[in-house]
Amino acid sequence: MQVDFAARELTVKLVYYGPALSGKTTNLRAIHWLGTSSSCSELMTLETQNDRTLFFDMLPISVNSESGLKIRIKLFTVPGQVMHNATRRLVLQAADGVAFIADSQRSEADANRESFVNLKRNLVENGIDPSRIPIVIQFNKRDMEDIRSDAELEAIANQSREPIYRAIATRGYGVMQTLRGLLGQTWNKLEEENELEERFGISPARFMQEVDANLKHDPGGRAR
Amino acid sequence: MSRDDAHAADILMGDVVRLEDVLSRGSVTSVSKSFFGLFGLPVRVISHEGDLLADVHRDRPLCNYLNTTGEGERRCAATVAAVRDAEPEAQTIVHPCFSGAVYRIVPLEYQGRPIGRFIVGPYVPAEAKSAPLTLTSVQGVDDRIARGHFDDMPRVRQDIAEQLCDHLKGVIELLVFSGHRAQLASTMQVASVRENYRELAEKNEALKSSYDELKQLDQLKSTFLATVSHELRTPLTSIIGYTEMLDSGAAGALSDGQAEFLGTIRNKATQLLGLIGSLLDLGRLEAKNLELQNEPVDAKALLSDVGSTVVPNANRRNVTLDIEIADETPKIWGDAMRLRQIVLNLTDNALKFTSEGGEVVLSAFPGELAHADGTGVGAALFAATQPAVVLEVRDTGMGIPEENLSRIFDAFYQIDAGTTRVHGGAGLGLSIVKQLVDAHDGSIEVQSTPGEGTIFTVKLPAADDDAR
Repeated sequence: MQVDFAARELTVKLVYYGPALSGKTTNLRAIHWLGTSSSCSELMTLETQNDRTLFFDMLPISVNSESGLKIRIKLFTVPGQVMHNATRRLVLQAADGVAFIADSQRSEADANRESFVNLKRNLVENGIDPSRIPIVIQFNKRDMEDIRSDAELEAIANQSREPIYRAIATRGYGVMQTLRGLLGQTWNKLEEENELEERFGISPARFMQEVDANLKHDPGGRAR
Repeated sequence: MSRDDAHAADILMGDVVRLEDVLSRGSVTSVSKSFFGLFGLPVRVISHEGDLLADVHRDRPLCNYLNTTGEGERRCAATVAAVRDAEPEAQTIVHPCFSGAVYRIVPLEYQGRPIGRFIVGPYVPAEAKSAPLTLTSVQGVDDRIARGHFDDMPRVRQDIAEQLCDHLKGVIELLVFSGHRAQLASTMQVASVRENYRELAEKNEALKSSYDELKQLDQLKSTFLATVSHELRTPLTSIIGYTEMLDSGAAGALSDGQAEFLGTIRNKATQLLGLIGSLLDLGRLEAKNLELQNEPVDAKALLSDVGSTVVPNANRRNVTLDIEIADETPKIWGDAMRLRQIVLNLTDNALKFTSEGGEVVLSAFPGELAHADGTGVGAALFAATQPAVVLEVRDTGMGIPEENLSRIFDAFYQIDAGTTRVHGGAGLGLSIVKQLVDAHDGSIEVQSTPGEGTIFTVKLPAADDDAR
């Protein structure tokens, strides 16, 4: 989190992490598309010939609160390819929350696990405690063949310390729920650490109201 | 996190974009020129920090004329200063000039923050019918001349001017977006390279320290081997000494049984001493601190000496021992004692594995030795080979299976455990031979046919001609 007292502006950084081709960029594109155009700025994608997402997408959402505090929420994706670990670590610096986008296909279970291990390692390298940073997990590609069943995800959700969401990012399903869930968790954590309500007069409930007012909703749902 | 990394992280958060950092002056000037060329409207682009990034205009006769009068010049300067310093918050400012012309000051924003402005004008709104009184009443201004110049000013309808400015604003903001993206891309690229470098440097450091550790362990092993061997040898020498004294009757006459047992003790102790000697040699060879006393060594004398040493053993086993020395065999450049050890080890080995009625032949003849790197690179400039002495130890023994040939020079290697029981030895002999040959910059090869025999061929550098 960055606070610019002069400009009365607070910036929250959320990172979309996950294995290559799990749908991180698609999530951001969907958020950009579903979010109200006035609150989202231009989506920035840095692409090269070899990689779909080389660097990151950036999407500031302005939430103007009554106290005059401007909140910017910046969403980033990391390049999923194994070779871009240094870039992933850089993008992860100073992250306030992480949405881990997993691929629901059974064949991708190993890739999901590998990427999550990599996430934990990179968080530690950046001086962030993986057990303390808000993380939500999204099982994307629910419309594909041979995926983990809803019952399986239910069982996983019951055991998981991270909230689990289901999504079909290509259709925008579950995308906003995931973002909303992550924002809620992240704000609670920031409140706990920085007493934002006392300093800026914004309660977690008030913040979520602002978020809801600024972001549209899809009918997608959380697994529990 | 280093300062540079911190900088990369700041840029990632994309908080403060400065127009002068992301906009190339060249491209914004090109856009302004094309705008001016199409619509005849002057353009100036100014950053939030006040830097003039593009200025495309042509001096208008009206302005030039007004600047020739004291009052006109003063009022002109005041208008220009006011326009330059006006900072539009979010809306375009239309600033009037006393001459009847106007300026449009349009804010530039990026990610919801002001990053600069551009000024279009002066131009005369098409809606204006004639020169205003504020122009014609300026002290010292000729009414007719002023009206003439006023009519020559570029004219644009205000609604059209607004559309044109919106268009230009869109183009410039697009340039800013592209510039910012390029800036982020290159910053990230550099930061990623630096991060990769840091990671590799750390890994190199870790590798180096584990290499140093291994080297130290190896050194420790060699030192341990040398120390233990030395400590073992001292009491063993005493044991052998005392058995010899007993044998010579120094402590009284011995019975036949006692003498026989004593013989066995001495034999085994001598064997053990030999093994310890080999271990010491191996330790020294591995630690690379075996010093060779190189000198020209006569091959004939070398083979004869070894032959006379092993002849009793050969006779006992009923194995024929032959020595063949070719004419013109040069002297060997090497350490006489170590060369003897090489040949003796090989001959002992040959005798050990040759059964009764067999034959062992030691021979020496001139040959050639490939230079150390053996690749032949640059052979045109260097002699590919050097004169050598070939020493051959040939037997008609049991032979070595082909699959074992590559490992026979490894320390402690025995073709099968049974070999040790039947023939004795700890498997150090050939390893020591190989290392001694290497220490002489020579080469050793083995050819073997199971059931027919084995030939060990050692090539050693010949001494220089004048040393022969």
